[in-house]
Amino acid sequence: MKLSTKHSVLAVALTLILAGLGGVALAQDKEAVLKNRETLMKGQAKDLGSIKAYTEGKADMAQAETSAANLTQSTKKISEVFPPGSAATSSDGKYGTKPAIWSDWNKFLDAQKNAASKADALLVAVKSGDKEKVSVAFSDLGKNGCGACHETFRETLKN
Amino acid sequence: MTRGAYLAAAAGCDQCHTDIKNSGRPYAGGRALETPFGTIFTPNITPDRATGIGRWRLADLERALRWGSAPDSSHYLPAFPFPFYNGLTDTDLVDLKAFLDGLPAVFRINIAAAPSIFSTVWTRAAITIVAECFPGPWQPDPIKDPAWNRGAYLVNTVGRCGDCHTPRHWLGALELKRQLAGSPAGPGGKAFPNITPDSETGIGNWSEDDIMNLLKDGQTPDFDFVGGAMAEIVKNTTRLVDADRRAIAVYLRSLPAVRSEQRAAR
Repeated sequence: MKLSTKHSVLAVALTLILAGLGGVALAQDKEAVLKNRETLMKGQAKDLGSIKAYTEGKADMAQAETSAANLTQSTKKISEVFPPGSAATSSDGKYGTKPAIWSDWNKFLDAQKNAASKADALLVAVKSGDKEKVSVAFSDLGKNGCGACHETFRETLKN
Repeated sequence: MTRGAYLAAAAGCDQCHTDIKNSGRPYAGGRALETPFGTIFTPNITPDRATGIGRWRLADLERALRWGSAPDSSHYLPAFPFPFYNGLTDTDLVDLKAFLDGLPAVFRINIAAAPSIFSTVWTRAAITIVAECFPGPWQPDPIKDPAWNRGAYLVNTVGRCGDCHTPRHWLGALELKRQLAGSPAGPGGKAFPNITPDSETGIGNWSEDDIMNLLKDGQTPDFDFVGGAMAEIVKNTTRLVDADRRAIAVYLRSLPAVRSEQRAAR
């Protein structure tokens, strides 16, 4: 009897410790996921910025081409930085994730594909060297790619 | 595009008066709106004579837009931004009437608001309406240049920016001294940013081009693309001609800078 009580106490203690560790691991995971998410998004903003600068004559074409190529890759990785259970508020407290990301996962993937195809179109436009075309493709990716996805899946906590 | 069509696009009449989510016909109403007065369903404004506004004369449209008053003298809730449309010019009313008359008529019966919203809500709405200032048809300021005047009209009347960006006092009416200085609790209970040119808390360090980019593509100066309440407004401002977006920027940058808790994006 005594031994078995001891065992069960031990078992309970072990379970609690493991659960605690799991919680810590999960929290660290969440932090890492949020960091990856923000790095990806900020990288995209930077790439978009250099393409805009190109259309305004403030940056050269080579830079714009690199950025557009980056965007064709990074837009395809968006869903990777939103794994299930990674609901979070952005570090500046302005934005949150809408549950629809995960409850409507296929629609979220569609939104990503939509953005990725617009990024492909932007790269084609940049390569053509026609700034008029670049401006149109830029607006299309920004407004109908990034913006449309933000409207459906990003919670604006502070406008 | 006719002048009336452009005006309707700029104001975004179709955004509210179309049940976009359920693939409703344009301007046939039925969109559910969460308002401080409860959930309401927007009315059909196509020229259908039975269910739309096909029987309205110009005077009826004028009373509705400028005073929020229906032909049967019942009053609209201020979820319909008539306190702003009060400033519409006579010419614009005529153009808008011509545009609405030319829309395809759609038979769609309006959905009445839930009866429960009619008691306290109407009292609250009535107080707000009475407290609101109705400036009357907008008059250009002859001292200012045409771009500024156009911008003032687009911001204060057609675009009704103050509906979200100007705080309201305890009666629910706009605090005009803090015009566009951001609201801690705008529509949906969320905070809306200060868009006066205060360099600390407003958009004082946004250039004219920065403002124009936001209005055209929803792009902020740090290359984010808005997705919140402003995304819906961008659907209207993206349809403007560049000169009108510039006019809005000129006007906003001329406003008195107001310090506010409601910080803008930096």
